[in-house]
Amino acid sequence: MGNKIYRYSLAGLSTLGICMALYVCLSSALLVALIVIALAIVILSVGERKNVIDKVYRLIGDNKALNLGIIALFILLLPFLVQGNNYLLHIAIMAGIFSIVALGLNFQIGGIGQINFAPAAFYGMGAYTSAFLSVKMGLSPWLGTLCGLLMAIVLGVVVGFPALKARGYYLSLVTIALQIIFTLMIVNSPWIGGPNGIPGIPSYQIGGFSFRTPVALGGIQLPYQVNFLYLVYILLALFALAANRLYNSRVGLAWNAIEQDPIVAACQGINLTNTQLLAFCLGAAYAGIAGAIYGHYTSFIGVENFDFSQSLIFICMVILGGTDNVPGVVLGAVLLTMIDEKLRDFSGYRLLMYGIVLIIILIIRPKGLLPKRIRVYQQKDRSEYSSHSAVVTGGSR
Amino acid sequence: MMGVLRTERVSIDFGGLRAVDNLDFQIGDEIVGLIGPNGSGKTTFLNIISGIYKPTRGRVYFNGEDITSLPPHMIRAKGIARTFQTNRLCLNLSILDNMLLGLYCQQQTTWWQAIFMSSSSSREIKLGIEKSLAILAHFNPALITRAYEPVMTIPLIDRRRIEIARAVVGDPRLVLLDEPTAGLNSEETNQMINDIAKIRRRSSQISIIIIEHDMTVISRITERVVCLNAGQKIAEGTFSEVARNELVRTAYLGG
Ligand SMILES: Nc1ncnc2c1ncn2[C@@H]1O[C@H](COP(=O)(O)OP(=O)(O)O)[C@@H](O)[C@H]1O
Ligand SMILES: [Mg+2]
Repeated sequence: MGNKIYRYSLAGLSTLGICMALYVCLSSALLVALIVIALAIVILSVGERKNVIDKVYRLIGDNKALNLGIIALFILLLPFLVQGNNYLLHIAIMAGIFSIVALGLNFQIGGIGQINFAPAAFYGMGAYTSAFLSVKMGLSPWLGTLCGLLMAIVLGVVVGFPALKARGYYLSLVTIALQIIFTLMIVNSPWIGGPNGIPGIPSYQIGGFSFRTPVALGGIQLPYQVNFLYLVYILLALFALAANRLYNSRVGLAWNAIEQDPIVAACQGINLTNTQLLAFCLGAAYAGIAGAIYGHYTSFIGVENFDFSQSLIFICMVILGGTDNVPGVVLGAVLLTMIDEKLRDFSGYRLLMYGIVLIIILIIRPKGLLPKRIRVYQQKDRSEYSSHSAVVTGGSR
Repeated sequence: MMGVLRTERVSIDFGGLRAVDNLDFQIGDEIVGLIGPNGSGKTTFLNIISGIYKPTRGRVYFNGEDITSLPPHMIRAKGIARTFQTNRLCLNLSILDNMLLGLYCQQQTTWWQAIFMSSSSSREIKLGIEKSLAILAHFNPALITRAYEPVMTIPLIDRRRIEIARAVVGDPRLVLLDEPTAGLNSEETNQMINDIAKIRRRSSQISIIIIEHDMTVISRITERVVCLNAGQKIAEGTFSEVARNELVRTAYLGG
C-alpha cells in the first residue's frame, strides 16, 4: 500500500518535472534552454544504460490519469505562468500546431517507413482551403477548417495512390515534386493572393464570441491567445490519443510490418495499397486541420509558411523526437519550435544555428530523444516478462 | 480425398528462363514434400501459389476456386500461409508482435474502430495474445517469457519456430514451408521435425507443402513427395518410390 502511494507520487513528480523543464525551455533565453535540453539528453542516455527509462515509462503508464491531469493543469495555468507575455503563448500555440502535423507525418515516417517530403504542402492545403473559403466565400471558419481537412486528404489520395505503388526513392521524389509544385502554384495564383498571401482571415466564433477577443477571468485580463492555446491543446490531446490507439492496434502493427518487409506483410494478409494509403491520408488529415487552424489563428498566411524548408523542419521534428513514439514526436515538435523561435535573435545565422543544434542532438541520440519502443500491450501482466531490451536496439531500414 | 490445392500446367518465365514448366500438382489432407536440386524452381513454385509471382501460363485452384490472379494478401485471407527460405521475421518487432501479424487476417478492427472503439480493439488484441502464447508454448515454452523481446535477440532455431508459429497461428488450411531446417545442426533438425509433426497433431485440417534438402526430414514426415528438375515434375510418389526413381538419381547426381 505504502509502495503504491510512493509510486503514485513519484509518477506525479516526474511528470511535473518534465512540465517544469519544458516551461524553463519556453520562458528563458536560448542558452538556458539548450542547457536544459543537454541535461535532459544526459539523463536519458544514462537512464537508458541503467534501464531506468523503462521504469519511468511504466511508472507514467501505470498512473495515466494522474499524469494527464498534471499536464492538463500545466497547459491550463500556462497563461498565468507567463504573466502576460503573449509571445510565449504564441510559441506554445505554434508548438501545439506543429505537434499535430508531426504526429500525422509520423504515420508515414515511423509507421510505414516512408519519408514524405511534402508535409508542409498538406499543411498549406488545409490553410489555403480554409482561408480562401472563409475570406472569399464567407464560409464559417469551422466549416472552412473541415473543408481544409478534407482537401488535404484529397491531395493525399491523389498523390499517394500512384506514388505508393513504388516505395523508397520514388515516393520521396514524388513528394519533393509535390512540394515544389505546391509552392509554385500558390505564387502563381493571383486568386489566392499569389506571393502576397491571404490577409484578414477571420477567426473562429462560438455564439458571437470571437476567439480574437481577450477574456476576463475572475478579474484577470487574459490575452486572446488563451482561446487558441486551449483549442489547439485540446485538439492535440485528441489527435495524440488517436495516434496512440492506432499505434497499439493492428493497424499500427501492419504499418510497422510493411516498413520491415512489404512482401512478408502482404503474405500475412495486409493489403499494401490500402494500408499505406491510410497512413498517407491520416497524415494529410492531421496536417490539413493544423494548417487551417494556423490560418485562423494568425489571420495571415503566405507561401513562406508552407515551403520546402518548413517540410524539412517537420521531418526533423519526427526524427529528432523519435519515430513511432507518440510522446517522442510531440517532444521533438515542441523543442524544435522553441529553439527555432529563440534563434530569431541570430537572424542571418538562424538556419545555420538550427542545423548545428540538430546535428549535435542527432549525433548523441541517433534514434531520437525517445526512440521507438517494443509494443507493450498489458501493462499489469508485463512484470512476468523479461523487460530488458525494451528499446529496439537494431537499425531499421 | 478432397483436393485442397491444385495447379494446372503452371509455367513461369523469367526472361528466357522457364523456372517452372507445365507443372500439374495437387495436395489433399496430407504433407507433401517438394524436392529437387538447387535452382529447380521449388521456391518459385511456392511464390506462385502465394501470389507473389503471377504464372505466365496455367491456373491455381484452392478449394476449387481459381486464385491465380489474386494478390498475396487475398490468398492469405483464403487460408494459405507460408514461411520463407531465408527466415523473414520482422526483426525490430517483438516475438509477440510477429505472432499477432500471423493473426492479422483473422482480426477485424479497422482504423476507425481502433480510434473510436478502442475497447473492442484491445479485446481483439488480448484474444490474439492468448492464442499466440498458446501456440508458442506448443513449440517452445521458453519463448513465452521472451515474448516482449525483439526477434533480433533470438537464436536461429527459435526464429524458424516463430516463423512457423506465425504461419499456423491464423488457422490456415494450407501451409507452405520453404526449407525449414536450412542452417540447423542435426540435433536442431530433429527438433524441427517434431515441431512440424506437432502442427498436424494440433489440427489434421492443415495441409503442408514442405521444401527440403534433408532426405531424413522428407522420409520421416512426408506422406508423398514431388521431385522437380529444371522446373519440371520428374517424379511423384512415396519417398521410397521417388528415391528409387532413375531420373531423380541422375538429377541429384548430375545437377
Ligand atoms: N525473380 C526472379 N527473376 C529471375 N529469375 C528468377 C527469379 N526467381 C527465381 N529465378 C530463377 O528461377 C530458378 C529457380 O529458382 P528457385 O525457385 O529459387 O529454385 P529452388 O528450387 O532452389 O528454390 C533459378 O534459376 C532462379 O535463378
Ligand atoms: Mg529455394
